[in-house]
Amino acid sequence: MAYKPQYGPGTSHVAENRRRQMNPDIELDKVRNVTDEDVVLILGHRAPGSAYPTAHPPLAEQQEPDCPIRKIVEATPGAKAGDRVRYVQFVDSMYNGPSQPYQRTYTECYRFRGIDPGTLSGRQIVECRERDLEGYSKWLIETEMFDPALTSIRGATVHGHSLRLAEDGLMFDMLQRCIVGDEGVVTYVKDQIGEPLDRAVSLGKPLDDAWVKEHSTIFHSLIGLSYRDDVEYIEYIQRIHSLRTKYGFMPIEE
Amino acid sequence: MAKIERSQKLFLDALKEKFQGQDPESVKTTFYNFGGLKQSPRKREFMAAAKGIEMSRGISMYDPEHCHLGGLPMGQRQLMTYEVSTTGVFVEGDDLHFVNNAAMQQFWDDIRRTVIVGMDLAHATLQKRLGKEVTPETINEYLHILNHAMPGAAVVQEHMVETHPGLVDDCYVKVFTGDDAMADEIEPQFLINIDKLFIDEQAEALKAQVGKSMYQAIHIPTIVSRTCDGGTTSRWSAMQIGMSFIAAYRMCAGEAAVADLSFAAKHAGVSQMASILPARRARGPNEPGGIKFGVFSDIIQANRKYPNDPARASLEVVGAGTMLFDQIWLGSYMSGGVGFTQYATAAYTDNILDEYTYYGMDYLKDKYGFDYSNPDPAATIAPTQDVVNDLATEVNLNAMEQYEGYPTMMEDHFGGSQRAGVMAAACGLTCSIGTGNSNAGLNGWYLSMLMHKEGWSRLGFFGYDLQDQCGSANSLSMEPDRGLMGELRGPNYPNYAMNVGHQGEYAAIVGGAHYGRGDAFCFDPLVKICFADPSLIFDFSEPRREFAKGAIREFKPAGERSLIIPAR
Repeated sequence: MAYKPQYGPGTSHVAENRRRQMNPDIELDKVRNVTDEDVVLILGHRAPGSAYPTAHPPLAEQQEPDCPIRKIVEATPGAKAGDRVRYVQFVDSMYNGPSQPYQRTYTECYRFRGIDPGTLSGRQIVECRERDLEGYSKWLIETEMFDPALTSIRGATVHGHSLRLAEDGLMFDMLQRCIVGDEGVVTYVKDQIGEPLDRAVSLGKPLDDAWVKEHSTIFHSLIGLSYRDDVEYIEYIQRIHSLRTKYGFMPIEE
Repeated sequence: MAKIERSQKLFLDALKEKFQGQDPESVKTTFYNFGGLKQSPRKREFMAAAKGIEMSRGISMYDPEHCHLGGLPMGQRQLMTYEVSTTGVFVEGDDLHFVNNAAMQQFWDDIRRTVIVGMDLAHATLQKRLGKEVTPETINEYLHILNHAMPGAAVVQEHMVETHPGLVDDCYVKVFTGDDAMADEIEPQFLINIDKLFIDEQAEALKAQVGKSMYQAIHIPTIVSRTCDGGTTSRWSAMQIGMSFIAAYRMCAGEAAVADLSFAAKHAGVSQMASILPARRARGPNEPGGIKFGVFSDIIQANRKYPNDPARASLEVVGAGTMLFDQIWLGSYMSGGVGFTQYATAAYTDNILDEYTYYGMDYLKDKYGFDYSNPDPAATIAPTQDVVNDLATEVNLNAMEQYEGYPTMMEDHFGGSQRAGVMAAACGLTCSIGTGNSNAGLNGWYLSMLMHKEGWSRLGFFGYDLQDQCGSANSLSMEPDRGLMGELRGPNYPNYAMNVGHQGEYAAIVGGAHYGRGDAFCFDPLVKICFADPSLIFDFSEPRREFAKGAIREFKPAGERSLIIPAR
C-alpha cells in the first residue's frame, strides 16, 4: 500500500489549515498579484533584468559523473543553469500570521524541490538556486501563505513576530521596510536586507481580521483558538513523546 | 490535564512597571517614537564613556548610532528594564551582562577558586608513618599556619617573596566534620558549623554522610584563579597545604612522606568542583563545563534557606545556572558576543518563570494532593509516564496561555528561545519536585518542547531542532551513551553541550527533585556544606539577590588590584 501523508493531527480549523497548506494536491488561493520584477526587487539579490550569477557552468556543459542518483532525480532549473544559492526569509506574526515558521518549512518540503529550509522562532529561511527561489518566493507572496501586515520578508532584525502590533496593524519592523500608504495599501520601500528600493513595491491591502482568524495556522487563546481545545492534537503529541521516551530504552521485540 | 484557577500573577507588577501607562493585555501599541538608544540611561552612559576613551586613546570605540545597522540604532521600540525576580530591583539589561556585574563575576570566581581536601589521609600519614601526634590543638595550629600560607605566604624557607594580604583577603581555609566532639575542639574561626547553618534534619543527614572524617574547604585568592584558571586551584592549595603540614608538624622539608601529603592534597583527597573536560573543550578541572548538575544544585544554598519552598530553591538554581552556564560558559568560554545574556536573563527576571512554576505547584496540590511546602520523600508522586505527561502538558498549556493573554509579557520574552526555556523549565521543575525524580523532570522538559513547537509552530533557535526534539529518547534511559541520571549530567553531556537556554534549567530540575523530597543535599554533601560558609564573598543562598546587587553596583567583589595600581 502506498504511503499516504496525513499532514498532522487535530480536529480544529487550525489543524485543518495546516494540512491544507502542506498538501500539494490542494491549490492554495491566490490572493494578490506581484510581478517577477517586484519579487526580484524585494529579494534584493540581483538587479532586475540582470543575468543570474552562476556558481558553476550549466550541468549540460560539464562532465557529469556516472551517478545513479542523478539519473533518478532531475535537477531543478536553477541547478541545471548553475545558479548560485540565495535565500528568502519570512517573519510571521504570532497574531494570526497566515503561516508560521515550522508550518512554512513543512509546506515547502511538500511543495518545493531542491530547498534547504531553516526554522527558528522569529523567522524561517529557505535557500535554493536563485531562479528557483524567485519562483517559490512569488508563490509564497501571492498565495494565502502571506498577509502584508502579519507576514514580512526580512533578512535581518526579525523581532516583531512576538511583539504587539503597531496601531496601523503592521507587525513591528525596526527597519520599517514597508509602510501603510494611502487607502491602506502596504508598500515595500526597502528590500529584505533593508536597502532602500529605487521604486516602491505594493503588496496590496492587509487581509481583514475575520479572514486571518479563519485561515490561522497558530493556536492562540486570546485572538483565536486555544490549543487545549484541540484535544486530539494534544493527545497526539503526548503519544509521540511517550513512544520516543520508550524507544530510548532500545526495546527489543520478542 | 485540567486548568486550575490561580488568581496570583507574579509577573504583573513587573509588566506594569516596565510598560507604564499601557494595558498589559492589549495587542496594539506604538513604535518608532522612543528616541532610539537615548531612551536608555545606561546606553547614554556608555556613549559618554566611550567619547572620553576615544579622546584619551585616539582609537574609535562604542558608536552605536553609526555602527548599528548602518545608522539605525536600537530603540525603535521600548528598551525595557527588568526586575530581577523576587528582588523588586529593576535594572537595565546591560547591567546583567557579567562584564558589567561584579556579583556575577564573583559567583563564578568563588566556585572556580574552591576545592575540598580531606584530612584523613594526611593525618594517617602523620600518625602511622611518621609517628606524629594529631590532636585538636595540632589541627588548630595547622589551620592557623595554613591560613597564613594559603593566600601566598612562606612558612619554611627564610628568603621568599610573598603576596600582599590586601590583594588576597578573600582567601582562607575552614574545616568541617560530622564528629560533634571534634567540631567543638576546633577554633570557631576555622569551623564551618553545620549545626548552625542547616536546619536540624539537614544537619543530621549531612553529618551522617561526613562521619568522623574532616575536610578542608579551601578558597584560593580570586586574583590567582583569575590570572591562571580553575585547574590552578588544587595545585595552589596543595602546595600551601604541604608546606603548612611541614611547618605545623615539624617535618623534614624533603622527606619522602611529604610526597604522600602532596598526593593526598593534589589527587587522592581532593574534590574538584568540576571535572576535567575532553581535549576538544580544552579546559582543566574547576571550569564551568565540568560541573555536574547535581554538584551545582549543591553549590546553590537556597534549599538551606528556604527548605519549605522547593520551587523558590529551584528558581535560585535556575538564575545562578543560566548566568554561569549560558552567559559565562556557553556565551564566552565557548562562543563570544553578547547575545547569550538576553537568552539567559529571561529565566530570572520579571517573575515570569516563578509564576509558571508556582502554577505547577498549585496543580500538584490540586490534582495530586502533593503539598510542596512540606517536602517529604514519602509524599512524592510515583514518576509514571502518565503523571509526567499530565503535569508537563498542563503547566505548558498554562504558560502558553499566559503569554497569549498578556501580549506585553510575550513582548518581554520576545525571542522563542527565551519562551521555550522558561516554559520547559516550569514543566521540568513541576515534574521533578512532584516526583522527586530528576529524570522525570527532564522528561517533562522535552514534552513541553514538543508541545510548544506544535502549538505555535515555532520553538527556539536552530539548536532546538536537535537537542529538544530528540530529548525524549535520552531523558529516561540509563544505557551508556544513551542516557544518564540527571545528577551526573552536566554542561558537557553529549546532547547538552551546545545549547543556550538549557543547562541552568536542567541543573535546577535536578536540584528540584531533591528539594521536593526535603533532602539535605543532591549529590555531594561536602559541596553542600562547603558553600554554606557565610565567609564566602558571594552569598550562595540568594544568587538572584546578589546579581541584583551587582546590577545596581552595590556588590563588593574580591580580587581587586587597586592597591597596586595608580588611583583613578
